[in-house]
Amino acid sequence: MRKIYYIARKEIYHILRDPRSLMIVIAMPVLMTFLYGFAINMDIENIRLAVVDYDRSTESKDLIDAFYSSTYFSEPRAAVDQGDSEAILKSGDAHAVLVIRPGYGEALRTGREFALGMFIDGSDNNIAAAVQNYSQGLLLTSALELLPAGQVSGGIRLTTQVLYNPDLKSAQFFVPGLIALILVMISALLTSITIAREKETGTMEQLLTAPVTPVQILIGKIIPYVFIALLDGALIVVIARIVFDVPFLGSHLLMLLYSLIYIGASLALGILISSLVQTQQVAMMFALTATMLPSVMLSGFIFAIKNMPPVLHGISYIIPARYFVRIIRGIMLKGAGAEALIFQGLALVGLMLIMMTIAARKFKMKVA
Amino acid sequence: MSESAVTIDRLSRHFGQFKAVDDISLTVEQGETFGFLGANGAGKTTTIRMLTGLLLPTSGVGTVAGYDVFTESEQIKRSIGYMSQKFSLYPDLSGRDNMRFYGAAYDLDSARITRRIGELSERLGLAEFLDRPSGALPTGWRQRLALGVALLHEPRILFLDEPTSGVDPVFRRRFWEVLYELAAEGVTVFVTTHYMDEAEYCDRISIMHRGRIVELGRPFDIVRQHGQANLEETFVHLISAEESRNA
Amino acid sequence: MQVRALRGLIRKEFIQVFRDRNMLRIIFAMPIIQLLIFGYVANTEVRQIALDVYDFDQSAVSRHYVDALEAGGYFTPQPAPFSILDIEERFKRNEAEMAMIIPPDFTRGLTGGSIATVGLIADGSNSSTAAIGLGYAARISTQYARDVKDVAIPLELRYQVLYNPEMESVYFMVPGIVAALLTMVTVMLTSMAIVRERERGTLEQLMVTPMSNWTLLLGKLIPFAVLGMFEMVLALTFGILWFNVPFAGSVPLLFALSGLYLLTTLGIGLFFSTITSTQQQAMFFAWFFSVFALLTSGLFTPVSNMPMWTQYLTWANPMRFFLDIARGIMMRGAGFLDLIVQVRALVLFAVVVMGISVLRFSKRMA
Repeated sequence: MRKIYYIARKEIYHILRDPRSLMIVIAMPVLMTFLYGFAINMDIENIRLAVVDYDRSTESKDLIDAFYSSTYFSEPRAAVDQGDSEAILKSGDAHAVLVIRPGYGEALRTGREFALGMFIDGSDNNIAAAVQNYSQGLLLTSALELLPAGQVSGGIRLTTQVLYNPDLKSAQFFVPGLIALILVMISALLTSITIAREKETGTMEQLLTAPVTPVQILIGKIIPYVFIALLDGALIVVIARIVFDVPFLGSHLLMLLYSLIYIGASLALGILISSLVQTQQVAMMFALTATMLPSVMLSGFIFAIKNMPPVLHGISYIIPARYFVRIIRGIMLKGAGAEALIFQGLALVGLMLIMMTIAARKFKMKVA
Repeated sequence: MSESAVTIDRLSRHFGQFKAVDDISLTVEQGETFGFLGANGAGKTTTIRMLTGLLLPTSGVGTVAGYDVFTESEQIKRSIGYMSQKFSLYPDLSGRDNMRFYGAAYDLDSARITRRIGELSERLGLAEFLDRPSGALPTGWRQRLALGVALLHEPRILFLDEPTSGVDPVFRRRFWEVLYELAAEGVTVFVTTHYMDEAEYCDRISIMHRGRIVELGRPFDIVRQHGQANLEETFVHLISAEESRNA
Repeated sequence: MQVRALRGLIRKEFIQVFRDRNMLRIIFAMPIIQLLIFGYVANTEVRQIALDVYDFDQSAVSRHYVDALEAGGYFTPQPAPFSILDIEERFKRNEAEMAMIIPPDFTRGLTGGSIATVGLIADGSNSSTAAIGLGYAARISTQYARDVKDVAIPLELRYQVLYNPEMESVYFMVPGIVAALLTMVTVMLTSMAIVRERERGTLEQLMVTPMSNWTLLLGKLIPFAVLGMFEMVLALTFGILWFNVPFAGSVPLLFALSGLYLLTTLGIGLFFSTITSTQQQAMFFAWFFSVFALLTSGLFTPVSNMPMWTQYLTWANPMRFFLDIARGIMMRGAGFLDLIVQVRALVLFAVVVMGISVLRFSKRMA
């Protein structure tokens, strides 16, 4: 125990003596929380819409007002003359161009059918999809107002209720998931690099000749990172609460327990990577590709898992973040208890045990 | 005119309040083997770095091979060879690749590089180690390789910062034999060392303490002047005297 | 220019990269793995939302309505044999994402003169699924009611999506991955490679050679520019062959502007190497920057959608401009003049960043 303590203390000195790295370890989660909370917003708004109005009637003015008064659409970057829609889109000044042909007002007044044209820049998919959704809705509302009153009744009215996140804020969705990302980053990436660093500078050899077992070295080196990871996790929870109004409905203790299991699995990954590489540079590239990328892309953190093609869907089952993201969201946003998360919990424990076994075996082999 | 290889006059280098090198003066003649002695942290490495153009002095005058250390460091670099305290070749490259690379860095053409690699590997006995990753070589061989790299461009002045630390006596002996040969060819050797037997081989030595030169002269003269048995005793005597004076 | 020294440096750098087997593997595997994952996964479209249906009407009409919900593939409705009190429990267990309650008078309301009210409950913890699901349900319901009542809407909006008419998300992601790869590879490798020399002491040995500052700089930067370009070509080729990504614009223009962009990322890498002393620090800085660059570039969500202060922040991110360029050239076939704003911004960036870094990067030690 004492030996582990000394190794851990040495590692803590290493970290503390390098204030720039420490700052980044603390600043990184803060930056990521703010960026994911503010910058990544799946509800598309402020779409730059250019309107080419050949009709110039009061009706067409009303329609244009209806578009611009919604929060979804805003004016284009540069004033648009009656020009070529494609040129407008190509320059990127507008995301979409609404073309109102002559006769629009006339058609509305006489009740004739009429078609409007809309050109959309498909080079940003999110925007293109949003334009279609919103403009259809806007047009439908204005069209329904024109219909005789009797025809509207007899439809279906949806009364909707959203649980947990009634305003559907993206931040409430992203920020809790971020904890999973930060923990894997600290645990897998940082540990693989510190171990690679000792190898690169030759100090690992020195440590191994001391009367400590490799496992003791490993544990001693890892413990400080467990604390940093937990600290970062707590930091995100606090920022989430204060800045983004993300609640914490469930049990803190349960969260801590699952976090430790998850950290265990991530650390095992880090050790595994470090046993495969010789230099810090390679450790970093390896860790980024093997842990960060799947934890962001295949965990359901941003993109829905069930929409993935079968192969990637299958791969997602061996990614700890997949389970942990669900656990965090369940505990924080829905107040879910252990029994509701039993499947995710068991899967996480199983993964941790498997990864630890492989990592321990690899590490021993390298030493022997 | 026969120019001195190194002249230093009242040279200082301060790091904030700390005077790493404090007002030192000395001259080293062409073809001389000069031992630059001092306890750890006395300012030897800082001095060497100023002389090799790695570090700008705070004040004073200095020339190496007739070039000014303040303004002509690029010309200095062409005329000197340097071997640092730490093994500073690329461990993942073979000896040959290291030599090829540094040869190019000194702007030698490839025919000359090939010729020099041949000459040096024969002179230093490197041939069989030339194609292994240099990081995997035993310390002694690594130091020889580093010397080979420092000699590639046939410099007139050689700066060696503790070249033989951690090397066994047989290797050290051979290493010094090479240095003698070089000196005989007229190369100036400016060397720092902790081994007093090595210092005794030098034409002249200086002893540094806390940034100042406290003794300068021929090893034999210094020993006699202080009435000690050998250079090691003299060194210990001098440093402890300085320590007690400062205390 | 010291041609021999420069050639020697570049050669040495490549030997070092290619001697490390793992490094070599990563250089080839990383772009392809990224491309595959991003290409298949980065799709904000939501389909097959798990919908629990509590049908208290149990009529042919209500079943028909549920079929309509299922038809587009947006929902996978499952009849719920549970009590509506279980809805929350189902959400907590992640067994359902939305729940629908069809009241007993549904048929009467729909076919008669009154309105049929349907309850829809969503799990808001996944805000995008919830928002999109509510939108789908509203659209399908309106359409369904219109079909049942046979009401025609006199106004119609005809869309024409230019550049990516099928709205394939891969087409949209590939230019993004190209930009991301160029950024990450060059910033990280450049900053670490220079600091590694400092850490190992080889930088000192380099500094005593008569190699000029410029030669040393170019010798360190060119190999990583080449590597970055190689990654880009690999990603582009793979994207075009595997995903059939179209390339609308001019290839030489993309390469020329990538070269311009590389000046900014190499400059940033160089700058990090001048303010750090260990590889670990350099990596942290590079990584910190990469996270910022990726998230504020518009890679996942458009810049115009960010809050104002974040939008101002994106002006400090060269990748934002390069992403505009890459998507513009590849998808819209934009020419040099269409991208003049972005080009100017990148030129300004390159001059400032490179200027500062070169000034800071000196061959002396302190």
